Amino acid sequence: MITLPLTTQTPLVDAISHLLGLDGSFGLILSAFIAAFLIGNIMLISAGIAGPWAKRKITAVFTDRIAVNRLGPLGLLIIVADAVRLLAKELIVPEGVDRPSWDIAPLILPFSALLGFAVIPMGGPLQLADPETGLVFVFAVASIASVGVVIGGYSSNNKFSMLGGLRAVAMNIAYEIPLIVTAASVVLFAGSLRLSEIVSAQAAPLIVIAGVTIPSWFAFVNPFAFVLFLIANLAEIGRNPFDIPEAPTELVAGYVTEYSSVYFVLFFLGEFLHVFLGGAIIATLFLGGPAAPISSLSFIPGFIWFLLKIWSVFLFTQWMRAAIPRVRIDQMIEIGWKGLLALSFINLILTAILVGVIA
Amino acid sequence: MIGILQSMAATMKHALDGQTFTVEYPETVPHVSPRFRGVHKFSQERCIWCRQCEIVCPNDTIEIKLDDKRQGEEYNLHIGQCIYCRLCEEVCPVDAIVLTQQFEFTGDTKGDLVYNKEQLKNVPWYKGLDPLASREPTRSAWVGELDGEIDYQ
Amino acid sequence: MSSTPASSQKNIVGISKNGTLDYTKLEKLLGPLVLQKEDHVNAPAFVIRPDSVEEALTLLRDEAGFDHLSCVTAQEYEDRFESIYHLRKYDSPQHELGIVVPSPKNNPWNQSACSVFRTADWHEREAYDLVGINYEGHPDLRRILLPDTWQGHPLSLDYDQNKPQLITLQEHENPLRDTDEENTMFINIGPHHPATHGVLHLKTVLDGEHVVSVDPDIGYLHRCEEQMAQGLNYRYQIMPYPDRWDYASAGLLNEWAYARAAEDLVNIEVPEYAEIIRTMGAELCRICAHFLAVGTFALDIYGDFTAIFMYAMRDREIVQSILEDLTGQRMMFNYFRLGGVVWDLPEPRDEFLSKIQKFLDKIPAGIQEYSELMTTNEIFQLRCVGTGILPPDVARQYGVTGPVARGSGIDYDLRRDDPYGYYENLDWNVVTNDGCDIYSRFLVRLGEVEQSAKIIGQCISLLESWPEEDRIIQANVPRTIKPPADAEIYRAVEAAKGELGIYIRSDGTQQPARFKIRSPCFSNLSTLSEMATGGLVPDLIAALGSLDIVLGEVDR
Repeated sequence: MITLPLTTQTPLVDAISHLLGLDGSFGLILSAFIAAFLIGNIMLISAGIAGPWAKRKITAVFTDRIAVNRLGPLGLLIIVADAVRLLAKELIVPEGVDRPSWDIAPLILPFSALLGFAVIPMGGPLQLADPETGLVFVFAVASIASVGVVIGGYSSNNKFSMLGGLRAVAMNIAYEIPLIVTAASVVLFAGSLRLSEIVSAQAAPLIVIAGVTIPSWFAFVNPFAFVLFLIANLAEIGRNPFDIPEAPTELVAGYVTEYSSVYFVLFFLGEFLHVFLGGAIIATLFLGGPAAPISSLSFIPGFIWFLLKIWSVFLFTQWMRAAIPRVRIDQMIEIGWKGLLALSFINLILTAILVGVIA
Repeated sequence: MIGILQSMAATMKHALDGQTFTVEYPETVPHVSPRFRGVHKFSQERCIWCRQCEIVCPNDTIEIKLDDKRQGEEYNLHIGQCIYCRLCEEVCPVDAIVLTQQFEFTGDTKGDLVYNKEQLKNVPWYKGLDPLASREPTRSAWVGELDGEIDYQ
Repeated sequence: MSSTPASSQKNIVGISKNGTLDYTKLEKLLGPLVLQKEDHVNAPAFVIRPDSVEEALTLLRDEAGFDHLSCVTAQEYEDRFESIYHLRKYDSPQHELGIVVPSPKNNPWNQSACSVFRTADWHEREAYDLVGINYEGHPDLRRILLPDTWQGHPLSLDYDQNKPQLITLQEHENPLRDTDEENTMFINIGPHHPATHGVLHLKTVLDGEHVVSVDPDIGYLHRCEEQMAQGLNYRYQIMPYPDRWDYASAGLLNEWAYARAAEDLVNIEVPEYAEIIRTMGAELCRICAHFLAVGTFALDIYGDFTAIFMYAMRDREIVQSILEDLTGQRMMFNYFRLGGVVWDLPEPRDEFLSKIQKFLDKIPAGIQEYSELMTTNEIFQLRCVGTGILPPDVARQYGVTGPVARGSGIDYDLRRDDPYGYYENLDWNVVTNDGCDIYSRFLVRLGEVEQSAKIIGQCISLLESWPEEDRIIQANVPRTIKPPADAEIYRAVEAAKGELGIYIRSDGTQQPARFKIRSPCFSNLSTLSEMATGGLVPDLIAALGSLDIVLGEVDR
């Protein structure tokens, strides 16, 4: 028999239960659900804007085009039109697919990404849970996504999909390790795995230039680790130059080849949620989470800053997509194992020495 | 690494200059040069039914039917298969054919893409552009109904 | 099997003191193999027996330096079948020779040339497919353009065009399933695959991600262009169709191929002024085609519709609007006529020429931008340097021409080596690169854009200052053209993708009796397995992109 604590550590759930007058275990569970619904929806809306609209607009800006502009202001209503279009399409089930797993795969991708957001501090009370092992939790659930990709690729009964799934595994193994090792160097600085503590560790002033206080964001403290993490993150979310699991011109979209209609939407959403989760991790670990860059701007709510940061990471991925060619699978594995892994360990050791000396 | 940064800078330069090279089609009229070859316009008044256009047409786009007095009965253009080569205009001895700059037309069925002589006569000039000025000087006789010199080859 | 580069040999038989070919010496070299001598309009031809093809071609390749089998034409006469091997030299393309191999009507066969020239593989398969000659000793004689189940040979005289054909849907099997490589996977890349630039089907066998074998399956875009031309008259009707072979903006270059062959066949002199306009238009087309090649190649390497593709399209758009002003269409120009061009430069002339000049002025900056985006990008170099290797001797064996050959260090450009048009009076260079890889092909294309711009610049100043009274755009050509019966000609021009040759045989009527197109993409594509085998799937895609094929020209 598990006894639930009557108050949680998380201000968002408490605030909701207080606001709605829900108490007792059941009330807590209900308000936790409401809170999760809220956070999930914020991220889904972000992904919804990014997928059909922002991605097109940003790509168009880089390629000197206009892009969607017919429906609504700046073409924003294309989101509605696209949603209707995608959902109204027939769900084609190809012959010979491995049925239960083929249906499960598209659910795993958005699910893993949404789980990750549960522990991200988004400013103010907007954080669902703040476990002591928050950082580990984020990486653990984010990498469930590759299970979904493999299942999707394997069960589709399509050789292109299978190649895509296999590439995704190879890539994830090669890049997850440097990603986590680099994150560990941040943990050394912050001295905690709890994400809220990592954020608050970055609030201290680093240097004062001409009266403007630069906070000690880890991106400024250790830019080398920041760049490493940014590159490894591109591979983690599968964007150029590491979009090889999909590789439209080689594998014809890889593991999503056989998916249509709602299942395609789930994959599509999952991918964008992952881009944002990657952005959220970067923001939390290196960009001070929801904090304002300079204290005079802190009247703007932290949540806005947080959104701004994850959207700029998204913008960065789109920029890379326009400018950088895709590397070959063997070259990517080589860059991952021989380059990034070695560099991330060097970074970890140097950081450890540095932290030890300062302490 | 420098090369990668250079590429990123080059794309960013394009992103920041705010220029676009695509246009919003129906609102912005695309530039159509005076020589552009579009839908075929046909003048029954000029035609002497010599059938040279029908003979020269490389893929049987033009279909002419004569009555028993060798007078023209039908002049049909299967516009769906026209390749806009302008050979019919070139061989026509009486300038009864001119390819206008009109390129905007649709048809739901194959039958819609067969134009008879009335339809061909009423093919509009594209946005009021007169292609004749750019063609050989003799072609300027086309617009005015049969006045001016006609060049029989 | 090794090819012997002609240049490395000390004494090449059959060259007279002034550097021209001495056909009596060649005849002596072949000795009793020669049954008869025929006179084609482009070069004499030797008639040999069907069982001495290998011997004769080997002699000619090794002793006389004919290392380029540019084309194999097959045709059926009333009393016999005939294969013609058009030979020339990579070092001096003006040295031409035809080898005519007649074979009996009831049993059309002759020895295959595959063991001498590997390019004969595909060419003979095509001849077998369309005309029905059996090539003995051919390693893999099956249909190439038409489906395997096709009945009859469409260009043979007794072919019934109205007979319905039954095309069955067949599953492809792994060709290596019974060999040592049994742990391999067969995969169909194409015919609807984003990186095949059209409807190309690559039957690929993969071992993991490594390509074990790749067999291009072509013919999905076969539109019977040769047969169509055989039903149209020389004077007007054939000219619109070359635009549709290599439809990726290289229209005028293709038209020139037909115009050159037909004009030489009936001896039409083209006025100099028209030649300059032709040269300028053709080079504009080449720029257009190369921009498209660079853009779509970037598409293959980068994925999705990324920036470089759109920038290349934007630059190409300018050329297309210039060509529209000149010819009246953006892609299907139909601008050349036998004996000249159809229209003079558009009025006002200064405005038109300054529009071109403005475009030319922008080219260096454009090339600079492409270099920043691609050439210097380290990841781009990772992908392109040292991959898709095509050594020069292999390239010669496969009859590779154009930027692909020049990217393998073969200095072969018909504009310079077999001059036509106004090229010989202009100052420009042939761009070559010894890299033999994907990167060097890309660099050659960028370099050729610059050279084309140089040519166009000179054409503009010539056109500006040309005397008014001498602006003749068209020679006096009769309305009907009937070349003498049994006149035969093979003539080629340097199209955007390489040597585009036309073989015409006339039968005294207004329509050609045999019209054969030697497509550069066809020969270039046959090297794909040479380049891609042993590499990875991405290399296969990149190599295919670097070949810059247009399926309209491969399949015709």
